[in-house]
Amino acid sequence: MTKTYERLTAVAVLLMLLAAGMIFLYAPEDYLQKEPQRIFYLHVSAAIAAFACFLAVLVGSVIYLRTENARADRLARAAALVGVVLTTVTLVMGMLYAKPIWGTFWTWDARLTSTLVLWIIYAGYLLLRRLAEPGPQVARYAAVAGIFGFVDVPIVYFSVTWWRTVHPGPVIVSNALPPEMLITFLVTMACTLFLAAVMVGIRYRIETLLDEAPSGAEATIRGTQREPELAR
Amino acid sequence: MTRSVEVAFAVARKDLTSEWRTRELVPALGQFVVLALVIANFGFQIDSQNAATIAPGVLWLALVFAGLVAFGRAFAAEREQASLEAMLLTPASPVAIFAGKALAAALLLIACEVVLLPALALLFGTPLNVALVAAVLLATVGMAALGCLFAAMVARVRAREVLLPLLTLPLWIPFIIAGGQAVQVAMGASGSYNQAVALLIDFDILFVVLTSLAARFVLDD
Repeated sequence: MTKTYERLTAVAVLLMLLAAGMIFLYAPEDYLQKEPQRIFYLHVSAAIAAFACFLAVLVGSVIYLRTENARADRLARAAALVGVVLTTVTLVMGMLYAKPIWGTFWTWDARLTSTLVLWIIYAGYLLLRRLAEPGPQVARYAAVAGIFGFVDVPIVYFSVTWWRTVHPGPVIVSNALPPEMLITFLVTMACTLFLAAVMVGIRYRIETLLDEAPSGAEATIRGTQREPELAR
Repeated sequence: MTRSVEVAFAVARKDLTSEWRTRELVPALGQFVVLALVIANFGFQIDSQNAATIAPGVLWLALVFAGLVAFGRAFAAEREQASLEAMLLTPASPVAIFAGKALAAALLLIACEVVLLPALALLFGTPLNVALVAAVLLATVGMAALGCLFAAMVARVRAREVLLPLLTLPLWIPFIIAGGQAVQVAMGASGSYNQAVALLIDFDILFVVLTSLAARFVLDD
């Protein structure tokens, strides 16, 4: 089992190195934005992979509420963690991209605001899982939170977009990219999605082991066991 | 169906009666929002020039945090006395019980708004009109539905004081975006009041339906 994960991780790392090679060596320099434009490839890929993760949280949550299947709950837990990591990557790379192009790290634009809300919602989801005692009750609460979180984000997005927006719209479907850039982007996206899937798989395995561990051990591993002095 | 409505009203009446007898929450909330206005005054250096631009933000900040306290308390007494379990043992549907709790909590928050809105108009010199009250009341409906759902959820989890704002505030943001816009227009800013209010009504319908669907999973165990 561990061997398989090690191999998959190695493949994911090699794929990301391939993507990095294409971003820096193969893709042409942007005429207007120069070097900072190279952030675009990973920035958008990470965002798409994050959305895929949150979609997995939604699917896992809905299945859990319908069937109380522990595996669906584990999938939701694993995907939420990876999704939050990828959203962090998206936000940080977006800020680094925005500084040279827009002249500021942050602006209250529809896309930026809704991505930040997305991050806050799922960070809250992870905190709920961490602070509550593990069990079927919390799994159900978290499933409800996961579903509401997924509903909230498009709403925030659309309600803000009616008033202000700076962020560029989709460039892929509108055919705005030259072929080298498009190929680089598609390769980066595929590699990032593979990496995200491997990360979710590894986290899923960890969650399985935690679920199977005796309850005392689980509390120790999760770091949620209270110190005896504090408990008194 | 009529049975569920009766149950909801009975639960709401029970909560309001217990609040009327103890008179704990509403006076505390009223004092809380007035204090928030005092703090805003010192934080923003309010004067007659900037009051109209700052007042909408102060209103929503005070309301959101007062709401968190109100909804957090909605399930606190039930938890302390373990009376929620007793209610769930009755044949009444969990959704009806949830609706009753949400209704009572919304009415308590409205009682707090009865203090907040005139105090804001008095102390900040901003207009107090039907448009403003309507926008705040519309936002209260959806905020109460979401707030009560998450309050019911965290009532049986430790660190609930921390978790309630973390889970609820991001989901309230749509109401603050649309409500904020409506209140700004009602206080004299330019923009479309009707569009913002239509959006508030849409969010109200959506979240009331969603929370009623989800209430079963939160209360039923």
